[in-house]
This record gives sequence, C-alpha cells and structure tokens, in this order.
Amino acid sequence: MTSDNILRTGQSWLARQITNHTSFGAYFEPLIQLLLPQWRSDRLRSKIVSIRQESHDMYSLVIKPHRRWQDFTAGQHLELTVEKDGAWMSRFFTISSSPAHFKKSGLIELSIQIQEKGQITPWLSKALHAGSIVNLSQAQGEFCLSRQEEPILMIAGGSGITPFRAMLQQLSLMPNKTDNVAKTLMYYARSSEHFLFKQELRKFTEQVPSLQVHFIDSAEHGFLSAQHLERYSENFKTSHIYLCGPANMILHGRKLLTSLKVNWQQLHYEFFGPEPIDLEQSSGANSILFSRSNKQISTEESAPKTLLELAELASTNPVSGCRAGICHQCICQKKSGVVYNTKTQQYSDTGAQEIQLCISVAASDLVLEL
Amino acid sequence: MNQPIRPNQTTLDNFAKDLNDIRAKTMKEVGQIDANHIRKMIRVQRASEITGRITMVLGFINPVLWILGVLLLALAKILDNMEIGHNVKHGQYDWMNDPNINSRNFEWDHAGDSASWKRYHNHEHHTYTNIIGKDRDFGYGLLRLSDDTRWKPKNRWQLPVFVLFSMMFQWGVAYHELAGERIFFGKRRKKSSLPITRTQLRNAFFSKGARQLFKDYVFFPLICWPVFLPVLLGNFCANMLRDLWTASVIFCGHFTENIHVFKMSECENETQGQWYYRQILGSSNITGSRWMHLLTGHLSCQVEHHLFPDIPAWRYLEISKQVQAVCKKYDIPYNTGSFTKQYFSVVKRVVTFSFPPPKIHAQAG
Ligand code: FES
Repeated sequence: MTSDNILRTGQSWLARQITNHTSFGAYFEPLIQLLLPQWRSDRLRSKIVSIRQESHDMYSLVIKPHRRWQDFTAGQHLELTVEKDGAWMSRFFTISSSPAHFKKSGLIELSIQIQEKGQITPWLSKALHAGSIVNLSQAQGEFCLSRQEEPILMIAGGSGITPFRAMLQQLSLMPNKTDNVAKTLMYYARSSEHFLFKQELRKFTEQVPSLQVHFIDSAEHGFLSAQHLERYSENFKTSHIYLCGPANMILHGRKLLTSLKVNWQQLHYEFFGPEPIDLEQSSGANSILFSRSNKQISTEESAPKTLLELAELASTNPVSGCRAGICHQCICQKKSGVVYNTKTQQYSDTGAQEIQLCISVAASDLVLEL
Repeated sequence: MNQPIRPNQTTLDNFAKDLNDIRAKTMKEVGQIDANHIRKMIRVQRASEITGRITMVLGFINPVLWILGVLLLALAKILDNMEIGHNVKHGQYDWMNDPNINSRNFEWDHAGDSASWKRYHNHEHHTYTNIIGKDRDFGYGLLRLSDDTRWKPKNRWQLPVFVLFSMMFQWGVAYHELAGERIFFGKRRKKSSLPITRTQLRNAFFSKGARQLFKDYVFFPLICWPVFLPVLLGNFCANMLRDLWTASVIFCGHFTENIHVFKMSECENETQGQWYYRQILGSSNITGSRWMHLLTGHLSCQVEHHLFPDIPAWRYLEISKQVQAVCKKYDIPYNTGSFTKQYFSVVKRVVTFSFPPPKIHAQAG
C-alpha cells in the first residue's frame, strides 16, 4: 500500500465514523453546492464552452473538463451527469475529439445523437448553453486502436462514427511519417445527408496518406455485405476490424464476419448509445442480466412477473419486504433498459436509476446491479 | 374508545379512489422544489452541527455558549433523524438519483443501523400498523396500551418506564430492531428473503452503536482535550434532548387516546380502501407552526405519512387539507390536535392501561 492509499483509507474510515458518510466530500457536498452549483464529490465539475449543431439530429457539446479530469485514449467514452428537475440524470457518450486536440486546447467534444423519444438527448441541447455546468466521470472503455502492425478496418453505422472521428483526428494531428499500415473506414448512413463530419473526414485522408474513407449510402447500396468488404477492403481477413453503430448492425456485422472466417481476436465492437425506446416492439420476451451475480433470465410474454420474482427465480438473493412498493427495501440499481412501474403506471428512463423491484416489470432488455 | 363501524366496501372503494387521486396529483408535481427543500434542510443540519460543536467548546468562556452549543447540536441531530433521515429512508427522494440522498445508502446520526431500521420500520410497522401482535412498534413491547394485550404486574410501573424509554429512545429503537429481527427470523416465512444472518444483524447493531459512542463520547471530547468533560457531557445532553423529542413525536403519532387497534383477523385480504382506513384510524396528527412540523420531520402529519409514505414529507401539510376533506365526505374520523393535547392523551393512555382491566376477575372466574 502506498502512503497515498493509506491516507485515503484513513480519511474515509474517519469520515464514516464521524459523519456517517462515505467521505468528507459527501458530507460537505450540499454546503459546497452553495458556492459551486451542481458540485458532486464523486464527479468532475466541468464547463460547457459551446454547443455545435452537426446535423438536424446531432449536436456536439464542447466541454472544458475539470483540471482533475485525466487524459484519455481515442475511442473511449465517459458518463455525463446533469440535473433535470431536481434529479441527476446520467448517460454515456463517446468522446468524439482526440487526445491530441485535448492537449492543445484543453477541450473535449461529445457528439450526441437526438433520441426521438428519449428524455435526455432532445432536452440537453436546449437546457445547456455556453457556461453551463455538467459533471463528468473519467474516461473509460476498451474500444481503442491497437498498436499492432496489421491493417485496420473501421466500420461505422450512423452516429457510430463518433469514436472513429476521435481516432482519425488523433492520427491526423500526430502524423507518423513511417506509418504505412493501411487504414480503411467504411461509413454507412441511411441517406447522403446523414453523413456527419464529412468535410473533416475528407481532410483527414489528405493528411494521413495511409487512410481511405468510403461513404456508403445504405439506401442505395444496402447494408454491410461480403461484396462490400471485398470491394472496399481487400485485405479485411487479416485486418483488425472495429465495428461501432446500432445494436442490430453490430450483430449483423459480427455474424457476417465470423461466417467469412474472420478470427474472433481481430474483432472489436462497441454497441453505440441507448437503443431507441420502442415499447410496442419490445413487448415480447426480454432478457434480464444481473450484473453482479452474472446471471441471466428471460421474461415470458404469457406470464408476466415482477423483477423481484424474476430475480428470485434467478436466485440472485434480492432483498425484499412488503412486496407491494411500500418499504423500499427491494431498491436496486438499474444500469440500463426501460422498466414499467406498476404503482405509478409510468415507464422509466433508459439510463442508470434506482428502481423498486417488487413493482417493476421489464419493458425492454435490462441490466440490473444484483 | 369504541371502534367506529367500518364503512361498507363501496364507500371504502370510493374513498381509496379519492386518496389515490390526491397521491397521483401530488406525485406529478414532485421535482426541483423537493430537491431544493431537502438540500436546504441538509445545509441547515450541517451548519447547526458544525457551529454547535464549536460553540460547545467555547463554553469555557461563558457557560451560555455551552448551552447554545448543546441546543444547536440537538437541533442538528433532530433534523438529521427526522426531516432528513426518516424521510430519505422511506425513499421519498430516491427519484433524485443522488448517491447521498437515497434510501439505500443513507446512514443517520442514530444508534440504530439504517438497514435494520428500514427492514423493520418500513416493512412491518408501515404494513401492519397498529395490528396487535404484528406491529411491535405499538408499545415497543414495553408498554401496554390496549386491553387487547394481557395485563401483567410489571405494567404497574409503565409510567416511569415510559419516561426512561423516552430519554434513551435511540438505544431502545436500535435494540428493538435487533430483537425484532430475531423474532421475525424465528417464524421466517419461506417466501420472505432476508439475505442477512443473525450474526450479521448483531454485528450491524454493535458496529453502528460503537461508532455512535466513539464519535460523541471519545473522538470529539478527545480532540477538544482541555474541555474533555464539558464536551462529553454536552454531547450526552444533545443526544438526550433528541431522544426525548423524537420519542414524544412518535408517541403522539400512534399512542394517543383515540387511536384504534386492530386484530390480524380483521386485516387479512384487506382491500386498498380497508388498508387506507386502518392507516387513518391508527395514526394521529399534531397541529403547529412551520418549524414545529419541520422538527417532527412532518411526522406531525402522521396520518398522511401512513397513507403515502413515499411522498416528500414537506408536502403532507398541503395534502392534509385534502385528506381531511375526503375523510369528512365519507364520515371517517381524523385525529388531530395540538402537541400538548396529544401528548397529554398519550400519558393518559399509558396510565390508564397500567391498571388491569376491570373485567379481568369476571373472565378469570
Ligand atoms: S419489497 Fe417493499 S417496496 Fe419492494
């Protein structure tokens, strides 16, 4: 244990003893918020510098992160937390700008697609303005380019372009003259107006000779297929392949590539953003993942059960009491997905939230912290 | 203390519908102002705790400062337990998604471990309110408050027991949960899942209790070494003031003269209307100023709290007007009165039931 660690453990022990809080920061938080609105002891209070409209349904937040916000790698994401009507709302967004840009300007960008029925994304761009405060987590995620010598193939679907924009911006700002490894980006969008960062991506190809970018209009040319792969990236079988986009695109791409005998180790993918809330569509069976116990269970359409019953069936040992929504003992953190609350008769938000298991039923696939 | 005749089912169904409407209407409004309210309360609590502890130390300059410090610290503890802790642990602010203002994480300045308290209070007391034999908060197993409980000779002394219990209320409550859990465990139902063993429970009790003792009787007195004793004594007084106050508020909420008690058999397969009806008959309110309500954590609106335990408590005052109107409409009794009136009627109840019921000989014969 380093002396830093000892100090920290000692501090939090003392905080527990004399304040009943996990840290002194948590105890003083409401007081500090008087001076610094929205300050959180467990987050990094950062400032919005500007908001840029990228297309009719996407905008970028330009943020100056708090000075304790550490560096990141292109392709990583972070959790953005804002206060809405008194409630903290959190969402994960990919950082769409590069570490090199951050080093130069001290700024990062989050490019956010507006989810039509979402609670946060349509609201956020109106609620925030230059000077507003948001809370950030440190960057996290493994979806980053490896340093190997093999060629690289990137496949983006719609707003799944954001991590690639960060990676390519990084390459263009830190050009490596000896770098001849072939890099290809296949960028799918549902019409020619839907390509984001078009100018910028073209500019990157001029600055990075080993880079090729293909804009593929899926309305005209269809979805990712074996022919496309052959045409745009003849050496894809030996490439490291990065996939980012909507869930069904990734599932499709994964299936296609494995059927073409691409090695699993070469495949990297990231499901992008929350799936749009479409409750009609998801009324069928949903799958529930219990993240702590790493167990999974599916709901049955014919015999709807509360999440508490399902959690018990999956023997995850949930706490319960009244089983009627009164005692709040069955509170559990929902990591993602939509639940229907039978007591308030309302659908939840898609992000992380506390829910009462005994009066909630699944309205989409869920991840629960149990 | 005659049990009123329970209205028929249709009346109760309509009654429940009216109450549900009040709930739905209020829940829709919950938002920023509730978050602001609870944060403000926490700020006041922090400010009074910090200044209280400091002024108490300055008591060596002038004893009045010591008294002021004790009062401020007592205020901080009362706010922490009542308006903040009790309400947060009922999940009234869970929608804020705030890691510190949240029924799962909140730990209060109280001898009772939060999780045990929640397990017992939110579940048993709020579900089985005033059902003899089920709601152990009814008399806390110490006081005989109804003829449905058999009289024992020790009940003769229940007035002094009542006074002592009030002064050490936090420890009483903490122990009560522990013992309660044991009983609960004894007849643990197959379906109920408490992922906690007796040992864990006992450890929770001892570690939380020890932490509270360490804080008020070791840590703070020690770091103020030259004034060790005054600080220790001051903390003791602050704890006792808080205990007296909270005990009184809680007794006024459930043990006043006109409170009704129920038998388990009456409550099986209750409809929502019947449940609401029992909650109203089993609780009593206290009238008073805004400060008085804050200090009781709005348990002065015990009736509303029992109807809607997870609506942010500061809204109970507003709701109580609507609830009273609904009660009047259906001719359902609604128990309210000033603090002195209610407290006096609690004492009266404690004294009344310390004597054996007059009919006991006839029954024995
Ligand atoms: S078990 Fe009591 S609220 Fe869910």
